[in-house]
Amino acid sequence: MSDVTFPVGIDVHEQFANADQQRHAAQLGMWIWLVTELLLFAGLFMVALVLHIMHPGSVRAAVLHFKFWIGAANTAVLICSSFTMSGAIMLSRMGWQRWMVRCMLATAALGSLFLLLKGYEYYLDYAEHMMPFVGQPYALEGDPASRLFTNLYFVTTALHGAHLTTGVAILLWMAWQAHRPGFLQARQNRIEVYGLYWHFIDLIWIIVFPLLYVVGR
Amino acid sequence: MSTQLSIAHDPAARHALWQRMRVPAFAFVALMLFLAAIVGLGALAPSRTASFIEIGLVACMILTVLLFSMEVRLETPLMRFFALIGFAWVGILFGMVLLDYLSR
Repeated sequence: MSDVTFPVGIDVHEQFANADQQRHAAQLGMWIWLVTELLLFAGLFMVALVLHIMHPGSVRAAVLHFKFWIGAANTAVLICSSFTMSGAIMLSRMGWQRWMVRCMLATAALGSLFLLLKGYEYYLDYAEHMMPFVGQPYALEGDPASRLFTNLYFVTTALHGAHLTTGVAILLWMAWQAHRPGFLQARQNRIEVYGLYWHFIDLIWIIVFPLLYVVGR
Repeated sequence: MSTQLSIAHDPAARHALWQRMRVPAFAFVALMLFLAAIVGLGALAPSRTASFIEIGLVACMILTVLLFSMEVRLETPLMRFFALIGFAWVGILFGMVLLDYLSR
């Protein structure tokens, strides 16, 4: 250990032979779960692609109503949050616990900013009658394929938003845990495993943004 | 803990941190550039050709996140296999469905 790092480690549970085996088991478990999540979102992406191919005119009409610049800004916000999460992981490996907590809080703040912008976007969609499921007249009435794509847009972004909300809540809970002395000596692995989840949320949005806001404009 | 706060002012510590943050910083810059290209194409020159370029750029962004942010390139072969297999299943799903719609 160099003099610029502090001790880190994990408490080894009895079913594991050593810390490395426990670390690998936890990360493999997270990867298996992320694969199931990917398949969940893949079904929605598949429907979007089919609508793009079968009804390009209707999809274009819907896409032109969506808030392109808010979507772009939100993508940038999530990329920034991935960077701060990477910072938290690197700092956790060096044992810099205070700085790691700051990076986690910055990540949670960026995640919350994304949700605020998304909420504002939903408000604008509502104001422009682009929420066909709330009972108000739909802006593109008479175009059932565009209604399908708009509904898909809400299902996909709401599902992603639910993942992000859960992610922010877990991150704040972990930051609260991690502000106590000794966290990184016993539970450094949690930051690594959680980091995979956060980067995955970012990855999903990186697919959602072009598929729903950009392609077919 | 106070040592941890003051260590950030130590040049050797900052150098050590930068050494570790170089790859995430590279990934961050690359992702922002890819995003700028996608946004630029979508805002200034939306077309069918641009859509194919945008899909290619998205594939580059996915690879950047997987390899550098999620560090798949540093993982064990078993972990890399699981990361790959998820996208392989998605590839089969997309391939079989699109084979139908694109060949009509």
